[in-house]
Amino acid sequence: MIATIALVVFVTVTVGVYLSLSRDLFRVVLGLAMFGSAANLVLFAAGRLGRTAPAVVTVGETALADTANPLPQALVLTAIVIGFALVCFALVLMLRLIRDARTDDALALRDAEPLPTDPVKPPATDQAFEPVVGADPGREVAR
Amino acid sequence: MGHAQTANPIDAMGVAARAAFVLAPLGLFVLVSWVLATKTLPVDLAWSWIPSLDIEWRFRIDGLGALMLLMITGIGTAVFVYAGGYLAGDPNQRRLFWMLVLFMVAMVGCVTADDLFVLFLFWEATSLTSFMLVGYSHARAESRKAAQQALMVTGTGGLALLAGFIVLAQATGTTRISDIVEIVPTLGETPALTTALGLLLVGAFTKSAQFPFHFWLPNAMAAPTPVSAYLHSATMVKLGVFLLARLDPAFGEWPSWEWTLKVVGSVTAAWGMVLALRERDLKRILAWSTVATLGTLVMLVGMRGEGAAIAVGALLLAHGLYKAPLFFVAGNIDHGTGTRVIDRLGDLRRQMPWTAAAALLAGASMAGMPLSFGFIVKDVILEAKTAVDVFTFAKAANTVFGSIAVAVAGVAAIRVFWLHPGENQRVEAHECGPALVGPPLLLALLGITLGLFPFYVQDLIALAGVAMIPGTEVPVLSLSLAPGPVLGSLAVTLAIGVVIYLLWDPLHQRFERIAARTGRIGMASQYERSLTWIPTFAAAVTRRVQDGRLPVYVGLVAASAAAAIVVAIAHLVASGAATWAAIEWPGLGFAGAAALVIAGALVAPFVRDRLVLLLAVGLVGFGSALLFVFAGAPDVAWTQFAVETVFVIVVAAVLLGLKRLGRGMGIAEPRFRPLALGVSVVLGAAVAALLMIATAGPFDMSLPDWFGRTSVPEAHGRNVVNVILVDFRALDTLGEIAVVMLSLMAALPLVAALRRRRAPAGDAR
Amino acid sequence: MNPRLVILDVVARPLYVVILLASLVVLLRGHNEPGGGFIAGLVAVSASVLWALAHGPAAAEARLPFRSPLILSAVGVALGAIAGLPALLLGDAFLTHLWGAIPLGFTEIEVSTVLVFDVGVYLCVWGALAGYALSLLEADLEAPAKDSPEARR
Repeated sequence: MIATIALVVFVTVTVGVYLSLSRDLFRVVLGLAMFGSAANLVLFAAGRLGRTAPAVVTVGETALADTANPLPQALVLTAIVIGFALVCFALVLMLRLIRDARTDDALALRDAEPLPTDPVKPPATDQAFEPVVGADPGREVAR
Repeated sequence: MGHAQTANPIDAMGVAARAAFVLAPLGLFVLVSWVLATKTLPVDLAWSWIPSLDIEWRFRIDGLGALMLLMITGIGTAVFVYAGGYLAGDPNQRRLFWMLVLFMVAMVGCVTADDLFVLFLFWEATSLTSFMLVGYSHARAESRKAAQQALMVTGTGGLALLAGFIVLAQATGTTRISDIVEIVPTLGETPALTTALGLLLVGAFTKSAQFPFHFWLPNAMAAPTPVSAYLHSATMVKLGVFLLARLDPAFGEWPSWEWTLKVVGSVTAAWGMVLALRERDLKRILAWSTVATLGTLVMLVGMRGEGAAIAVGALLLAHGLYKAPLFFVAGNIDHGTGTRVIDRLGDLRRQMPWTAAAALLAGASMAGMPLSFGFIVKDVILEAKTAVDVFTFAKAANTVFGSIAVAVAGVAAIRVFWLHPGENQRVEAHECGPALVGPPLLLALLGITLGLFPFYVQDLIALAGVAMIPGTEVPVLSLSLAPGPVLGSLAVTLAIGVVIYLLWDPLHQRFERIAARTGRIGMASQYERSLTWIPTFAAAVTRRVQDGRLPVYVGLVAASAAAAIVVAIAHLVASGAATWAAIEWPGLGFAGAAALVIAGALVAPFVRDRLVLLLAVGLVGFGSALLFVFAGAPDVAWTQFAVETVFVIVVAAVLLGLKRLGRGMGIAEPRFRPLALGVSVVLGAAVAALLMIATAGPFDMSLPDWFGRTSVPEAHGRNVVNVILVDFRALDTLGEIAVVMLSLMAALPLVAALRRRRAPAGDAR
Repeated sequence: MNPRLVILDVVARPLYVVILLASLVVLLRGHNEPGGGFIAGLVAVSASVLWALAHGPAAAEARLPFRSPLILSAVGVALGAIAGLPALLLGDAFLTHLWGAIPLGFTEIEVSTVLVFDVGVYLCVWGALAGYALSLLEADLEAPAKDSPEARR
């Protein structure tokens, strides 16, 4: 079973990352979702897969007998919920971009970081940050 | 604007509030005096802090620390009183007072710390509070620039100091200063100690404005005068000297220590005095003479012998007692006339008689006139120098220092108060209130009193000196006014000083011309240049590393992750430690679920229609949910089903909206992107291989077994997964649901602008 | 979403109630059988999404407890934290759970801080994920007109 999961993980990680390397933001977000699924599978499989009975104690018993490992299940369960929130957050960001920047092309987003070929701007001079104040609070005038 | 004291009744601090603040240094002063009167030095205190690293809150008050403490709290009291008057009506006065209190606490910590890292902590605190205080008038560019410069220089020095402390602690095996000074002489000049020493010297020299880091101190005069008097003359800038004095017993026998200190100190003393001649601003003139005094102190620390050690203590005290009042005088002149430029000042003794008196008394001490404490200190220094063989340069530097000190004292005490201002326009002037006149007068009078009755402080100075030469008996000093060889030396410096004083204006013009030419290669302009150069360099590097294309960022992250895993696996395989999980045929259901996932994943990269892409990704989700079903994880499977259902429905609805905008199709791009495919395949293969190797090893079942055994008896729940979530690891779960909620909180502002504009009635809930 | 399906309109109300009841069952049985706060919360989210598809996201939001997804999830987190407090009073570590039973004569009601905690998880997941889903469903992608008050803001 591990080998099967490993094959599934190989395909989903590859495709997930490949989609995330796209310039299309929707593909990036869905690639992220797929990569998240793959990560959950890895986490789950790391707790071993041999036994497949649900981790529920039979009525009348006091201990688990020969069931699947409950710990990774608990971890994966919360990871799925948080992953959903993460993907939704990414979608919201994408929608804002479509609405405000009118693009969903990652290569068209150039406001924050210019291309290496763009000229390097000199650092801002002090005057640029000069605040406009009503009255000079300092009374130390040397001249 | 202007200097009328129109207090804003809302913002201004009342007299009671100011008095309350003055109680802080005054109370400490009384406390320190009480400790000195009742305990035998050194007094040790310690609290545990980081026991594993053997770092403790260790404090020790020795003679040197006691002298500094008295100055910090005593001159501090004067400064607090003065600041109340000087900034009366300033809306930000409360902030100034709080910063002064913080600064004072940091200083007290510095001079009493007996642990390298405790000392460093307080040292940095003084740098930070100094930044806030220099930048007090933050609306002015000059002030911000000066604050930044002071922080950059002392902060860089602080980093060097930290590095030096770490090396020193490693080399000696302890962080306790009083142990280190005993251990270091037994170790000899090892490379580690030499490195530590170099770093420590950088830290001390930046703090005490020694050449070549001297340029920041005069610029820090952008601070309000009480701050200049306190930080930049009486206390903080002395910290470098203090640190050197603290470490003198450790490194004192090293020739490199002796020579570095002597040369740097002498150069700073002479150069600082020469640069004082360049200035027209009274405060900056005083600042340069402070730099020169600090140079002299460093030189004295470098000199061997008991006399030099005692001279350090004496000069520390004397300088505080004359320079602080002179700063106050400069502040009063500024306050009373609106200017500090010496060309426009003159004849002020009529309008400002009390300030004039304070200036005269403090100036006498600075010039080393008989009957003042400065005279006695001059005597002590001279004795120290004749006791040890001093090289000629130090002697010459001292003569320059002494004579220009006379000239500076003349300018500050005589020129502006007694002479006519010349052809320049005369300014209006008025005397200041008691809060501004009292402190300088009191401190200056104290300087004269100690000159007349030096036996009041001679024990303290002797103790301070002995702190630098451990193991010696406390000498019985008998400071006196008896004229000795000092008179001859005094005559020389006085004569030269008077000449310089008389020739001040022509000399000034000459130096100004030279300085205009040398300014470009000076340290100050190097600093300026680095300020422009560093951000430009950083911007250029950032351009290369962060080129603004999302696929590149994602690719770099994926490639680094792949590289890390591949290297780890290669290492395991090469060492023969890697075992691979056995390949076995899965059950039919499991295989079918896996086939669903793989099918969905393989379709995804080939479709352009976004809806189809969504369905493909949904298939991956449902398929993995099925995998969980067949692997014995019904809770996980159920969660995944529910999430996937909601996800597909919601995103499909979003896609309908996108389709209406004509965005139903994905952006066209090459179907086959070789580089991206390469990175993804390597990462995918690496993760899969990692899984195969990781699951091949033996598994520690103790944790699952424990959960399985205790779930029913102790947590009263049969579904172990749920028991883990809500009971055994409930704190984790609480954190996780908090994260989910916080992420929604972060998303809602983004969403708010996306909301369909509702009818006004619906909006007003 | 706007062209609503009549059939959805008709069945939405009973379905909504049924799904929520189901989510409560899942929540309550979760400690002993598969289920629990997370899954129940997700089931409840699907009820909200159903309502949003039938009557619009704003109406679905109005039907949430507290009429706000953020407040709902915050209440959930708060419940989770409150469930850990009684243990502190007894001197145990935070979130050490307690069990008890209230006798009613003919039967007794079992109560525990675990249940309070799980209800907190349920409410938080419902609120937060419904908040995301409804926001996405409500998204208006038309750029604001140049002269609308929003564009000027």
